[in-house]
Amino acid sequence: MKCSILMAFNDSSSSRSALDFLCRMRPCYAEALVTLLHVLRKPSGSEELMGKKFVESAPARMREKMEKARQKLIDSGFKAENVSIKMIDKPYPTVGEGILEQVAEGPYNMVVIGRKKMSKAEEFVLGDPSIRLVRALEGIAVMVVKQ
Amino acid sequence: MASPGSVFTDTSEFFSIGPGDEILLGSRRYLVTGEEREYRFGVEDPKFWVKKAVDRETQERKILKLSFAETFMTSLGGVKVRCFRDPVKEGNILKLVGGHPSFMQGFMVRDERDNPVRVLDIVRGVNFLNYVDSFRMPHETYFWNVLPGILRRLVEAYKAIDFLHAHGFRHGDIRNDHIIVARGGGDYVWIDFDYDFEALENPYSLDLFGLGNPLIYAVGKGFHDYYTLKNDTYMYKDLVDHLTMADFSLLHTARLVNLRKLYPYIPTMLNNILLHFSRGANVFYESSQEIIEDLDGYLEYL
Repeated sequence: MKCSILMAFNDSSSSRSALDFLCRMRPCYAEALVTLLHVLRKPSGSEELMGKKFVESAPARMREKMEKARQKLIDSGFKAENVSIKMIDKPYPTVGEGILEQVAEGPYNMVVIGRKKMSKAEEFVLGDPSIRLVRALEGIAVMVVKQ
Repeated sequence: MASPGSVFTDTSEFFSIGPGDEILLGSRRYLVTGEEREYRFGVEDPKFWVKKAVDRETQERKILKLSFAETFMTSLGGVKVRCFRDPVKEGNILKLVGGHPSFMQGFMVRDERDNPVRVLDIVRGVNFLNYVDSFRMPHETYFWNVLPGILRRLVEAYKAIDFLHAHGFRHGDIRNDHIIVARGGGDYVWIDFDYDFEALENPYSLDLFGLGNPLIYAVGKGFHDYYTLKNDTYMYKDLVDHLTMADFSLLHTARLVNLRKLYPYIPTMLNNILLHFSRGANVFYESSQEIIEDLDGYLEYL
């Protein structure tokens, strides 16, 4: 299936930045380096209630899922040597903080993140890493894919 | 059940500790004189784990908060959040804010069974809820003559919360009756910070939302809820017909936030700060610093 992109455009510097990015992205697609990143958040009280065994086995389960995701990218045309996996053991207070720190260690040109459907109240109370990234990151594209 | 006049070195069974008993913490003896009560919504609610006491050595009145591990789910605007008491967090905050005029003072000490007990100084004054309610005058007079002074004090109190956040702590239970206006209209003092909550990606969210409550309460000189707006047509006339869901609080969904619709002389600049807490908001405050900056801006404009 062809990828169809809707680009919102007006005569602003932010629109021009987005256009520049899109121009760079098209020809470099197959050559792009992709890092699949997973950061750990400090386990919450509720997660700790799931038991020590469950918490301890979480990194192995995540690695397995990331390997599958890597393979999916390769199958879709990315070069195998360009797709890597990065799991950060250091627990961050929030996932957003962890991603921001990893971005700073880049260089990266774009961050891609999914976002689940949530109400305004959920967004405010529970928070969402994509909001944090959009607000905090500068000079880098952020692609938020809504569920 | 222990006989009156017993000495407790283990405070686990706090229901058994009553007036006339003594609690021995380290080398200090505290005579229990009663239990604290919470007055909310016209109901008196005894807090059996919070004892009124007198320090036998200094004769000073103290509050002893005994360890009470309470955890529950609360629903705010339809979002379920796990809340719990964390006495050690309160102890750590007490250590951090020693000498800070915007926080209750005290220290944490462990009893014989390692229960964390907080020994607190009494904050003398009136809570913010009753303080604002004590101004007997029309809203417009209050708004122009009294509110600016209240907002200046609130900004100081909000800076104190920002100080907590900067050190990685949450207050956990920001409410109008957890601010004490010290006697003589002095400092606004935060009390009761043993509650905590779980909000994984926005760790300070409920504190930030909580900061909206004293603000909305102060600007409106009370809360204006849907039920009253609808039924008290003498005071509110047909206002309810001109309101939409977007005018109400994001989490306390019956509470009017767009107060400019009720009191049109409220400047847009101040009303916009309130609207950050409404259902119509598209941008929320991300830090206490942002609220402080906006309030400072309004006070400068005044």
